[in-house]
Amino acid sequence: MIRNLARADSHPAWCPGCGNFAILKALDEAIAESGIDPDKLVLVSGIGQAAKTPHYPRTAANVFNGLHGRALPAATGMKLANRELEVVITSGDGDMYGEGGNHFIHAVRRNIGVKVFVHNNQVYGLTKGQASPTSDMGFATPVQTTGVISQPFNPLALAVVEGAGFVARSFAGDREHLKQMMVAAMTHREGLALLDILQPCVTFNKVNTYKWYRQRVRAIDGNHDPYDREAALSLALMWGNEIPIGVIYKSGRASFESQLPVLSTRPIAAASNQQDAPQELG
Amino acid sequence: MMGTNIRIAGQAGQGVKSAGALLVNALARRGLHVLATRSYMSRIRGGLNWYDIRIADSRIYAGRDQADILVALNDEALEVLGPELSAGGIVVSNGPPSDGRVGIEMETVAQEIGGAKVMANTVAAGAVYAICGYRVDQLCEYLSETFAQKGEDLVSRNVACACKGAELAAAAGASLAAPRGNCAVLSVMDGASVVALSACRAGLKFATAYPMTPATSTFTWLAANATEYGLVVEQAEDELAAVNMICGASYAGAVSMTATSGGGFALMTEALSLAGMMELPIVILLAQRPGPATGMPTRTAQQDLLMAIHAGHGEFPRAIYAPGTCRQCYSTTRLAIATAHKYQSPVIILTDQYLQDMETNYDPPEEAGPVDRHIQADPGDGYERYKVTPSGVSPRAVPGGRAKVVCDSDEHTADGHITEDIDAHMTQQDKRLRKAKGLAAESLPPEMYPRQADQAETLLMAWGSTYGPCREAVDLINKSGGSAAMLHFGQVWPLNVWKARKAIAGSKRVVSVEANQTGQFASLLHQQGLDDKIELVTRYDGLPFTAGYILDALEQSRE
Repeated sequence: MIRNLARADSHPAWCPGCGNFAILKALDEAIAESGIDPDKLVLVSGIGQAAKTPHYPRTAANVFNGLHGRALPAATGMKLANRELEVVITSGDGDMYGEGGNHFIHAVRRNIGVKVFVHNNQVYGLTKGQASPTSDMGFATPVQTTGVISQPFNPLALAVVEGAGFVARSFAGDREHLKQMMVAAMTHREGLALLDILQPCVTFNKVNTYKWYRQRVRAIDGNHDPYDREAALSLALMWGNEIPIGVIYKSGRASFESQLPVLSTRPIAAASNQQDAPQELG
Repeated sequence: MMGTNIRIAGQAGQGVKSAGALLVNALARRGLHVLATRSYMSRIRGGLNWYDIRIADSRIYAGRDQADILVALNDEALEVLGPELSAGGIVVSNGPPSDGRVGIEMETVAQEIGGAKVMANTVAAGAVYAICGYRVDQLCEYLSETFAQKGEDLVSRNVACACKGAELAAAAGASLAAPRGNCAVLSVMDGASVVALSACRAGLKFATAYPMTPATSTFTWLAANATEYGLVVEQAEDELAAVNMICGASYAGAVSMTATSGGGFALMTEALSLAGMMELPIVILLAQRPGPATGMPTRTAQQDLLMAIHAGHGEFPRAIYAPGTCRQCYSTTRLAIATAHKYQSPVIILTDQYLQDMETNYDPPEEAGPVDRHIQADPGDGYERYKVTPSGVSPRAVPGGRAKVVCDSDEHTADGHITEDIDAHMTQQDKRLRKAKGLAAESLPPEMYPRQADQAETLLMAWGSTYGPCREAVDLINKSGGSAAMLHFGQVWPLNVWKARKAIAGSKRVVSVEANQTGQFASLLHQQGLDDKIELVTRYDGLPFTAGYILDALEQSRE
């Protein structure tokens, strides 16, 4: 009888060549470069291949690997409980834009101060190759057999329209750019920072490959003013032959948590009783 | 103890609620024992709503079916509720004086005397005072204090309306022998507010919910008192968000709670399982109403007991409390929060529309300080969130210090990281389920009423809000020469059954009284191996139990 499958339990659980490896590496570098105290860092995710990321960084951090689609509400809860925590979500397009779509809309409206790194490979990996909310029209899968007929979800345009603090896009095939965008997001101080990361899926997406993205991504012009909402929206709506990467938008809105007077002194998670040692929360 | 039952009835928007609220507070202030219940429809205008205020010279535990004074603000109230008048009862109708009832054109009087139709409720309150033989200046005193901040003008107009109402009722010659009042507790609270107050005093710091009747009133109390208690209150986009937010906040260390009803709770069940897996202390108030689906949103029920016990995929420990009175709402909410933290487990508080809205004289106990969250001072490097222990409870740390707190909804090793290792899974599953033993050992014993009555002929089994009606039914049976007792469970999971076994064995007739159709609590007792001679008295029309209803049902099932 089979007793123990421990040896089969290898880490990470991704395919060779997966875009997630580059994202993980960039995340490690960005954590180091952004000067974030790993003690205060919480990596949050939902479910999916990308959602396993919090388990793998070299820098030991706090981890909350929750339910499918629910990374944002959990992250919102912990940021409100202790705003001194740096809450960074690393999850996939299915988790964030499909299962968690409603939370995405409302977290952006709140402009809660969490970082949202979405590994967007335009396909479902963990469930083996079905369409995701960001799959291009015509993309054929074992379920969408004659091709996707729904319009793809545009997370960047939605985030611009609903006033996210920071909206950017990067590409897993350009690690230096990706790291820079991660650092920019992690050091952003005014509310929600969305970083949509184009991530090739070498197993289930044979259309949007490294080559396909490389031919199309274009760094955003240095003259772009991220506080110009209309210009940002035009960039967010661009897709096809040219895909802009870089910082698209900054709303300048105050974060949700900064507007709650009750959080102006100390974290509510620190409000304690005699039994609790005061230094426990650092 | 029968006292006087005052019923204010009319359509939504006519001021039933304001008249009722005015009377219940003013009468309590006068030293009367009061118990108020509300019956309303899921609409903002129209329909038929009523507010019952029962007053007596001793503590009241439940409402009554018949009214002694019916204030009918419209014809429908008169038609539907007129037949529910006790012998010698008095009807105050909103119209010209007529035979057999006190007719007061309340809105016209309010307009003429007070300058606003909405003051009809003050006219009605004045009339009730006169009928009960209470001095109207006591009502006026209360009005003066209540409206003091809104200015002298409003006070004097309200006072004038109250006096006019009293004058017209007195002129009609209507009076009855009402209780005189000797209660020392002069303030009133409803169950919903007591749950909220108790939670705040126990250290609640984060509350989020999607509004759902009848849980909303607890949530709005928290919002109204958030500043005083240093609480973050956020309205979630849906129930999934609400419960996952409290999981996140609890992970970070804040005492966290949400409130919902059956449909919303159904949406929360996946995260209930998450709290079981991640071992997060969370508290969910499940205020029941009749289902299935949207059901009867403003009515009462106890239909979600088995759902609460079984909700969530997989197997994990939990505790479920079911308070029956305002006092129990206070003590069990505190206990629920303490238990959630001691056992790092989800805890559910079951109430229902009847209990949420039920107002009684209530004076909260002295502040006892926040409960222990059982958080370790920073354990430092090498910390394991899911360390295997004999009790199953692992030392709890929260993120922010040297210790890294790693939690996963996937099966995990002791350090919290994802695993598919079968041995690690078995070890962690056994560890989690060991907490069930501690929870069972600490389960609240049921309360026997009267205290030493384990040889009663008829034993009423009650849980949650049936406490009051069952207790009054027991009193009535015993007073009329019968022999009855009640065994009330304030905690329904894990179930503390040893006392029940003894009481059941000593009783001829065992009856489970439940506001559902199938006898969910009785089936739970069967499952615990208790005698199968348990009879059922059920009510599932959405209206609350009364002692009268229980006595009728007992009589019928005997026949």
